[in-house]
Amino acid sequence: MSETHYHHLRDLPSRHILGTGTPMCAGCGGLATLHQVYDLMGEKCVIVNGASCLTLLSVYPYTPFRGSWLYTAMACAPAGAQGVRDGLDILKKKGRISEAEDLEVVVLTGDGSAYGMGLSATSGAMDRNLDFLYLCYDNEGYGNTGQQFSPATPHAAHTATSKGPKGYPGYKKDLFGIWAAHQPSYVATVVAAEPLDLARKIERARSLTGPRLILALAPCPTGWDYEPSATVEIGKLAVQTGIWPLKEYVDGRVVHTKIPHPRLKVEEYLKAQGRFRHLFAPRENREMIAEIQAGVDRYWQQVEQEQEQPRS
Amino acid sequence: MYRIRLHGRGGQGMKTAGRILGSAFFLAGFEVQDAPRYGAERRGAPIFAYVRAGRTPILERGVISRPDLIIVADDHLLAMPGAGVLSGAQPQTAFLIHSHEKPSLWRERLNLQGPVFTLPGLPENELRFRGAACAGGAAALIPELNIDLLAEAVQEELAPLGPELVATNLGVARMAYASLAAHRGAVHEGGPVSAGEYTPPGWLTLACEEPLLSAPAIHAAATSELSQTGLWRTERPIIDGSRCNRCWWLCSTFCPEGAIQVDDERRPRIDYGHCKGCLVCLAQCPAHAISAVPEEEAAAQGETP
Repeated sequence: MSETHYHHLRDLPSRHILGTGTPMCAGCGGLATLHQVYDLMGEKCVIVNGASCLTLLSVYPYTPFRGSWLYTAMACAPAGAQGVRDGLDILKKKGRISEAEDLEVVVLTGDGSAYGMGLSATSGAMDRNLDFLYLCYDNEGYGNTGQQFSPATPHAAHTATSKGPKGYPGYKKDLFGIWAAHQPSYVATVVAAEPLDLARKIERARSLTGPRLILALAPCPTGWDYEPSATVEIGKLAVQTGIWPLKEYVDGRVVHTKIPHPRLKVEEYLKAQGRFRHLFAPRENREMIAEIQAGVDRYWQQVEQEQEQPRS
Repeated sequence: MYRIRLHGRGGQGMKTAGRILGSAFFLAGFEVQDAPRYGAERRGAPIFAYVRAGRTPILERGVISRPDLIIVADDHLLAMPGAGVLSGAQPQTAFLIHSHEKPSLWRERLNLQGPVFTLPGLPENELRFRGAACAGGAAALIPELNIDLLAEAVQEELAPLGPELVATNLGVARMAYASLAAHRGAVHEGGPVSAGEYTPPGWLTLACEEPLLSAPAIHAAATSELSQTGLWRTERPIIDGSRCNRCWWLCSTFCPEGAIQVDDERRPRIDYGHCKGCLVCLAQCPAHAISAVPEEEAAAQGETP
C-alpha cells in the first residue's frame, strides 16, 4: 500500500462530521469505528443500516448523519443496498443525477447480522457483484438487547446467555474467511484503536469497485464489562495478543498489515474484561486459557508458514 | 399492591436493585413482577426499572405510571426532564433518594408532598454498590420486608459475582437498611387500579398524509446534536492547556463521540454539552494533559460546561 495518503496519524481527518448527541453508550467501540469511517468517506454516501445498536443513532427526529441513511431489518441490509445502488444507477442512466451527484452505498450492521442472519443476503450480494462497501462492527454479541451470544462470540466468554464456569461453548466464526471465499474485490479487518491502519484500508476499499467488506472489532464496555475509558486499550491489546489479526484480502491474496511482535500473552487481553473474569477467579482456569492461547498460536504459525513458502 | 419505580443511570445497578427488592418480596410470600424498562439501556443514560408486589396474582402490565415509592440512585436525574423521575408521582408517593443533600431540601425543591428519605452518598470508590444501598433502604421502609429477607435476596441475586462481592453488597445494603429502620412503614400500598380510571392523553387527530409526507424522514443534518448527552457525564475530562503538546490527533481521533474538535491552532476543545465522560481521551493522551474531575466538583467550582 505505497499509494496511501495516510502515512502519519496527523494525516487523518482533524474535523469530525458525525453528529454528537447519539444514544450510544459512553466508550462505544462501534461508534468510534463509525465516526472514523464517516470522517474518511464524507457525507456523500447512503448508509443502509441493518437492525443493531447503531440503528438507534437515527431515531426520529434525531440523526447524527449529514447524508442519507436507511433502516432495514436485521437480515437484509445487503438487499437494501442492492435496491439503493440500482435506484442510483437508474437515476444516472436517465440523466436525473450527474456522475458527481452519485453516492457510495454502505451497509452498516453489527455482528449478529453479519455473522448470522444476514450472512445469506451478504453472500447473495457478493454473488451479484454488488458495488458496495460493508462495514460490520463486531462487538461479539447481541449488544442492543443485553449481550446475548452471537456467532461472533469468542470461546469461553460470558454473555447474558452463556454463564457458568465455561462461558460460551462455541467458537468465533471466521467471517473474514467466509467473506474472502466469495472472492469479492476486498475484505479487511480493522479496529478503531489502530486508526491509521483503518484509514488505509477504507482508502483502499474506496479505490476499488464491487463488493468490499470491512470487519471491525468493536470493544463494548457494556457487553464486555470494562471501564469505558479502556476501549482503545482493549482494542490495542486484541491486536498485540494476536487475537484480532489485522489483515486484508485483495487480488486473491491475504496480507497481514500488522504482525504483532512480540506477541503478548492472551491473558493480557482476557484479564482486562469482566466477561472473562471466571477464567481467573475464584481460581485460574489454566486449561481454558491455554486452549485460547493455543488457538492463537496455531493461527500465527500458519501465517508464518505461508509467508515462508515461495509464491508461484 | 406495592408499585415501586427505580431510577438510575445505566451501570448504576438499579436493574439489580429491582431484582433484589423483587426477590425479597417473593420470599415474603408476595406475587412479584420486576423488570427493567427496555430501551436506551446505555451506560450513563437515564434508565428505570420497576417492581410490583401484590398479594394476589398481578394482572397489571407495563411500566408503573402511579408509583407508591420512587427510588433515585443519582440525584442529578431529578433535574433532567427526560429521565421522568417525577412522572406520575401522587401526593402520597414516597421518595428514596441517594444524595448528599437533606430530605427537606428535596421536598422543598421539588415541591413534594409525600415522605422523602435520603441515603447518604457513598464514597466515590463505592459508587458501584449504590444498587444494593437503594434496595436496602427501600426494604427498611416497607413493613412486610425485614433484614433477613433482604439478606437472602441479596445473596440469591448476586451469587454469580462471587462471595467477596456478595459480602460487600450485603454490608452496604445492611447499612442502608439500618439508617432508615426508624421509618419502617413509611411506604404504603397503593389501591387497585382499574382500566376505567384511565384518562387518555389529549390525542390530536391528524389527517392521513401521503407516505412522502408522513414517513419519518429527517431532512436536516446532524440533528442529534440537539440531545445534550453531556448530562450523562459523572466525571469531566479537563485539558491542561499548558501540558497539551497539541499533537492534534489522539484525543480527538479516539473520542468515540467526536466530541473533541481541534481548532486551527491545533488546540483540542471538548464539547461538554455532548461529552459523555467515557475518559478515553484521558487514557490515551500521550502528554497526560487530561485529568478527570467529578462533575459535582467541577460545577461547584463554577466551571460551566
